[in-house]
Amino acid sequence: MNAVRTAAPLTGKVALVTGAARGIGRACALAYARAGADLLLTDIGDDLDGVPYPLGTRSQLEYTARMCREEGGTVSTAMADVRDLEAVRAVVEGALDRFGRIDVLLNNAGIAAPSGKTVHDITPDEWDLMLDVDVSGAWRMIRAVGAAMTAQRAGSVINVASTAGLVGYRHFAGYVTAKHALVGLTKAAALDLAPFGVRVNALCPGSVRDDDAAEGRMLTEIARSLEVPVQEHEETFVAAQPMNRLIEPEDVAGAAVWLGSDDSRQVTGSTVTVDGGFTSR
Amino acid sequence: MNDTGRLCQALALRVHTGADPERLRRNLALAADGARLWVEDVPAGADSGTAALHRERELSRPADPRTGPGLRTVLLRYEDGAADLVVVAHRAVLADPYELAQALLVEPVRPAAVPREHGERLRTALAGLDRTEAPEWGLGTPGATTTGLHRFSVPADSGAPASLTLRAALGLVLARCTAGAEVTLGVDAERALTFTVDASATVAQYLEQVDRAVPATGRAPLVGLTTTETPEALTGEGVKAEPLAHRPFLDPVHALSVHVADDGSTVLGGVVQHRHSAFADASVAWLTGMLVTAHRALTGADPGTRVGDIPLFDEERLRELAVLGGLGRAPEVPDERIEQVVRAWARNTPDAPAVSFEQQELTYRQLVERGDEYAAALRDLGVVPGDRVGVCLERSLDLVVVLLAVLTCGATYVPMDPAYPADRLAYTSEDAELTLVVTESETFPRRDGARTVRPDELAGNGREPFEPADLPADAAAYVIYTSGSTGRPKGVVVPHRNVGALMHATRDDFGLGGDDTWTLFHSSAFDFSVWEIWGCLMTGGRLVVVPYWASRDPAEFAALLAAERVTVLSQTPSAFAQLMTADREKRVSDSVRLVVFGGEPLDTRPLRFWLDRHPEWACRLVNMFGITETTVHVTAQTVTRREALAGSRSVGPALPGWHLYVLDPERREVPPGVAGEIYVGGLGVAGQYLNRPELTAQRFLPDPHAPGLMYRSGDRGRLLPDGRLEHLGRLDSQVKLRGFRIELDEIRARLLDAPDVGAAAVVLRQTGDAADTAGARLDGYVVFRDGAAGDTAEVRQHAARFLPEHMVPSTLTALPALPLTPNGKVDTARLPEPLTQGPDEGAPPEGDDTESRLRAVWEKVFGFRVGPDDDFFALGGNSLLGVRLLVALRTAGMPSFPLPQLYLHRTVRALAAHLDGAEARP
Repeated sequence: MNAVRTAAPLTGKVALVTGAARGIGRACALAYARAGADLLLTDIGDDLDGVPYPLGTRSQLEYTARMCREEGGTVSTAMADVRDLEAVRAVVEGALDRFGRIDVLLNNAGIAAPSGKTVHDITPDEWDLMLDVDVSGAWRMIRAVGAAMTAQRAGSVINVASTAGLVGYRHFAGYVTAKHALVGLTKAAALDLAPFGVRVNALCPGSVRDDDAAEGRMLTEIARSLEVPVQEHEETFVAAQPMNRLIEPEDVAGAAVWLGSDDSRQVTGSTVTVDGGFTSR
Repeated sequence: MNDTGRLCQALALRVHTGADPERLRRNLALAADGARLWVEDVPAGADSGTAALHRERELSRPADPRTGPGLRTVLLRYEDGAADLVVVAHRAVLADPYELAQALLVEPVRPAAVPREHGERLRTALAGLDRTEAPEWGLGTPGATTTGLHRFSVPADSGAPASLTLRAALGLVLARCTAGAEVTLGVDAERALTFTVDASATVAQYLEQVDRAVPATGRAPLVGLTTTETPEALTGEGVKAEPLAHRPFLDPVHALSVHVADDGSTVLGGVVQHRHSAFADASVAWLTGMLVTAHRALTGADPGTRVGDIPLFDEERLRELAVLGGLGRAPEVPDERIEQVVRAWARNTPDAPAVSFEQQELTYRQLVERGDEYAAALRDLGVVPGDRVGVCLERSLDLVVVLLAVLTCGATYVPMDPAYPADRLAYTSEDAELTLVVTESETFPRRDGARTVRPDELAGNGREPFEPADLPADAAAYVIYTSGSTGRPKGVVVPHRNVGALMHATRDDFGLGGDDTWTLFHSSAFDFSVWEIWGCLMTGGRLVVVPYWASRDPAEFAALLAAERVTVLSQTPSAFAQLMTADREKRVSDSVRLVVFGGEPLDTRPLRFWLDRHPEWACRLVNMFGITETTVHVTAQTVTRREALAGSRSVGPALPGWHLYVLDPERREVPPGVAGEIYVGGLGVAGQYLNRPELTAQRFLPDPHAPGLMYRSGDRGRLLPDGRLEHLGRLDSQVKLRGFRIELDEIRARLLDAPDVGAAAVVLRQTGDAADTAGARLDGYVVFRDGAAGDTAEVRQHAARFLPEHMVPSTLTALPALPLTPNGKVDTARLPEPLTQGPDEGAPPEGDDTESRLRAVWEKVFGFRVGPDDDFFALGGNSLLGVRLLVALRTAGMPSFPLPQLYLHRTVRALAAHLDGAEARP
């Protein structure tokens, strides 16, 4: 009973956030800074062939960093494509060099499209790209921080999956497969790293609203993949979520702070759903 | 604990000119491999709080050579154009971060390389330090993984170097806290200094000795001290930089690591970093205060001053300690005599019930009238104010009336327990120079010049009415004899005023009043009865005198509590343990709203079972530490589930008007957390032993912080930083066995920890056994909770897990109940001699006769030595054990008998005679 709960549960900790330029990544980075963490923020800063929408830009990433600095955090940024093993290694090395440790890894980078096809219509390239970013990207990051975290005998890895990691969605076979795999990776990595005091959990958000401040655009892209108006798509999801509203990026950030902090010190290998009750139906 | 921060150093320089990142990067590339210069723009001025925060953060970030270059350089650029350069370096990589700063700013020279094996050696040294056990006195939280930081400043000495004087001062502090003369002080992860604090040496000799101490490896000190000198400012072509801060470690190297930066100024800045697992923040605050005071005194002292005369607490801190102990909270207490307060109740609530005993009851009016009647008789027997009158009566209505009558006469009562041996009664009567003893006992020892009178002889209205005189409150009310562990019993003389002060200290807090019903459970010769009798009658309550038979039988006592709707119950923990057992059979009356524990150390853990049935909002439990010499009680601790779950040893803060000091054997103050002897000052101090001026002078000493005397208790304790006292047993419960100092209370506490153990006792028994060179061994006794058929082997295993081998009792005997003294405390003299052959074997019979064989069977059944005249039921036997005895007799091939015969022939001798007789009959 000697747990000390502070207003800033990540004070003195260092967090590495991928896909931090906007959306959930930006909201989580800001929440981490408010919780007292220093940050290394990374994003791809470039568009990807085969992804039908613009990805996070360098300018967006620096804007996230600036907002985090205003919260008092010391922030470094780096551009990296999580498909690139060498780039990932450099990001982690830089973070260790700058801060001396990495306490939290938020594997947030991911793509939602190319999607919108029936399973047998997906092209091999589309399939490979989806898995390469959404599953293998997270694995590459874990691979790169593993040595430092196990040496520290402490650390928290949070894989941002999705409700698509728990249930299926029509016309999203690649995304659903990748996110289910990410949940599997979470459980396996949790077992491997538990002896070293390192925790691995999956965070499964439901449909997150495209907040203007966070510049998120997942919902828009999903709607476009399904060829329905965003408004209609939002309404469908609101109706499907028992809490009767869409998830805000901050709602996800709250769980991300908790999973990153020592308050969740016995939570590992678990999936934390932030879906307004959607998967409980 | 991660050791990276413990092995890193950090240096910050304010770069006035020359903070060009490009030049710094070029120089860095030449000076070190793989290291980067990080540039941070801080949106604030160089002297702002934000700048300080950023600098602090950079100074505290470790650099791990296992994941990177093991060093880091950061340039913090501020809005006003100034900049700070922060260099962090691991000791396995770089010996001195200043050299790297020099290389960056002035001349790109490569600093000397650190030998490759150095890092591994340092890590091994740290692992050694981490094996050092956390000291009790540090008040750390076991298992805590956090660290604390405490800053202080200390005036520098103009002469001797700060590194020497600080070592010497810290040595004095550690010697006081550890109560040992030898001090080991870490200087870095690997090396430590050892020196002796000899109180009789001069300051000059002491400093010389500390100065001569050479750092050596192989020790694992608890505390380390590093003094660093501030390096010079860096100047070069277009460069001007001055050092701002140097951290020789980022995390505490030792359980407690002190760093003082000697920057040549008159006041030096220091910082203590400590592990919370070993030291509480509050303890560290006290320690640094002592360090600063000791340093000031040491550097200001004449070289010829005795080291023992160097103070570790300044006036302010001494005052703070005294206030922590309760000084300065004395309420205004009117000068009251006991009987005057009782008379006031007789005027205000004349018809309220005052005392009841079995079927009799007296109202306050009747009590005072009968008291006056008896007082008149005493007067006619020659009793005048200031006389001492012996009272040797069982608990009864008359007892209370007689005590009141003695006080009404202006005399002092000297209570004696009729159950005491004749020698003890004769001794008391003689020592107190009694000329009159009120007793019903025909056998009260006769003595020349002393007469006895029966209470009924004091009754009757034929006498001239008693006219109460105006008497002083500082006159003695009673003299109670305490035996103590050494010497003959001595009479403690307690004035009326003290009892009034006790009631003032407790009445409001406990809500004592006319609605309360108290019990008189204890012998009048035990001062707990002073609290019971006068606590009740001075607050207008009703006193239920508990008959002897009800005080011996928990079930009967529980029935009485219900029948009389008792609200205030005073109990020794041992007696209450039995009542708790009865409570599980049949719920103890809900009328009881306050239980006051006294007379013995309380183990709070079993109380949670009571709290399950009697929640704390319905029945308040208060543990009171008390001493006869300080008027019954000293402290009060309300025991809630929190205390019960924590197994709290706190007896609470001093009562208002009482105050505590904890002092070392030289009668010097020790800080909170450090154990010492408990001294008690304030309104409760009795002030004298009857006719024992020498003993009085030894035990009642001038109070250093308040008028009057303080009492030297002989009890061990420590103050907690919040002013509560932890009572750690008698100083003389420390026994010596084969050269080890052993704390019996500590062993007892471990036995109590074991599952299912409800009560425990430990004694050191002289054996006279030739095989045992010491001729002594530890015998442990446990009572299993709820009659659980516990296994003493498990209890022993449990104890052996926590206790060093020499502290594990040689024997462990399970008893149905612990024997109690008439005062309700554990009677160690009556603990049975254990069987030493092992639990299942039992001793072979000493002879072939029925009695010897029968005795061997009894011992096997009970598990301890049995005398030929020990009563089966007094030993704790019951019908279940009786059945077991019959089975064991059959197994041993002895004649059997119907169980009820055991009730008729209760001893080995009687039963053997019965069996022999039965066999003889055809």
